[in-house]
Amino acid sequence: MNKLSQWMGTITLACLGSITVPASASDDAKFDDYRSALEDGNPGEFWIDDGEELFYAKAGPKNASLDRCDFGLGPGVLEGAYAQLPRYFADTDKVESLEGRIISCMKNLQGYNDKQIQEQFLDIHYLNAAEEDSRVSPLSQIATFIASKSNGQPFLIQLDHPKEKQAYELGKKTFWNRMGAMDLSCANCHAVKGRVLRGVELPIMTDPHRAGKVMGAFPAYVNKDGNVRTQWWRNERCLLAMRLPWLKTGSPIDTSLILYQVKKAAESKQEIAVPGIKPRA
Amino acid sequence: MINQIRISGYLLAACASLTVTMAHAVDDSKDRGKSVSDAEFMQAVKESFLTENPNDFKRFQDPTLTTCNQTQDQPSPKQASEILQRERSSIQLPKNGQYMGDWKQGKIWVEGAHGGRIGFPGFADADHPSKPNGANCYACHAVDPNFPQNGNMGPSLTNYGKLRGQGAAIVKYTYEKIYNAKSFVPCSLMPRYGAGEGHLLTAEQVADITAFLLHPDSPVNNPKQETVAEAAHH
Repeated sequence: MNKLSQWMGTITLACLGSITVPASASDDAKFDDYRSALEDGNPGEFWIDDGEELFYAKAGPKNASLDRCDFGLGPGVLEGAYAQLPRYFADTDKVESLEGRIISCMKNLQGYNDKQIQEQFLDIHYLNAAEEDSRVSPLSQIATFIASKSNGQPFLIQLDHPKEKQAYELGKKTFWNRMGAMDLSCANCHAVKGRVLRGVELPIMTDPHRAGKVMGAFPAYVNKDGNVRTQWWRNERCLLAMRLPWLKTGSPIDTSLILYQVKKAAESKQEIAVPGIKPRA
Repeated sequence: MINQIRISGYLLAACASLTVTMAHAVDDSKDRGKSVSDAEFMQAVKESFLTENPNDFKRFQDPTLTTCNQTQDQPSPKQASEILQRERSSIQLPKNGQYMGDWKQGKIWVEGAHGGRIGFPGFADADHPSKPNGANCYACHAVDPNFPQNGNMGPSLTNYGKLRGQGAAIVKYTYEKIYNAKSFVPCSLMPRYGAGEGHLLTAEQVADITAFLLHPDSPVNNPKQETVAEAAHH
């Protein structure tokens, strides 16, 4: 995509901000026209280009690039890797999400320690998760680049390894468990058809079709924020509203909650299409 | 006898095919990840969530919610009465002893969504505790008919006082329901606004909301006002 069409996209986006839509249409259907109008000028494409540069650039204490990072299909194999994440990795003996795996490779290949990961990558990843914060997270840029290499493929989640099964069960428990100051579970809002929260229709994440559409859109460009957001961010925004503490990117609950929802998405065979376009959170 | 065997055979076959069909459309509402113990879950929680205040982890370990989670919101009669008793004992009156506060203040608390959100240090969307909290009632309820949005998780409260009157019993009930919905329904979907770790409202705010729902002058109990656009149209 050339720069001109990118800017045209941004201008189209600014104009679309004032469009109003009939209240009767479902929230998802409302934004279909909006999404198709942006298809050729999605500002999220910048994240792919910049993420690619970061991925192949030498960095860190070992002055190495990430290009030998193994996302599950072999060192440096990116095509279709995101479609099979989260998955178990023998070298870390953990089930890892895309962001979690990028962090592991930053440590193993580039030699960053935990403190450096926190200060150079996670601090900005966390701080820019606020509404209308358009500061760029390098971790999101790299994640968007890797994820885009699975475009056109459905999620394929096997749960072959015992730790993958365990993580899936932990994700299920997290999804259905009532907790936080609002006494709610994820399921209270996202497993019941027709739920509307303060005027916003909620996606049913136990419905494979809807889960496929939602999970396959992340990392997604969020217009209200002018930023690209990942699956971690989407879950953190819900946990924030549930008045729970801060979810660490790549942590067991982050990974498990993604795995649970991506497994649902996989049942629909919907194709991954990132960066998706979201009007708001 | 042979017929009976044949019939039970058909039944078994029918059940088997039903099980196969079920395997495709997975319904997790009965399982809910119960193979993961509460201890394992809490260990994962401690590894996964970041907070400067260790008390925040109590938000995962509330005794009432623990029972509700373990029983899938169907506590036994004994468990239910334990919950009702515990939650009832949490209810306190405002300092002035009045269930009804100021409905105009109540309008603010009903609309407000600020309060209780915990962030990474420096995170802009975390709620600063120095500002008063709101209850975000419109997330789940229709309340004031002039408010543009509402949710549908809870019943409509429009005309709440008009339909019920302002008798002493209904005033007390309304206050207590907002203060602690689980003192009436053990595993109510509604948050406990006056009790529990991280609860959002003070007793005075609960009284203000009670007044907003019940006071005859409150917009809750009056017809929807014409908007400027609607008036121009007529």
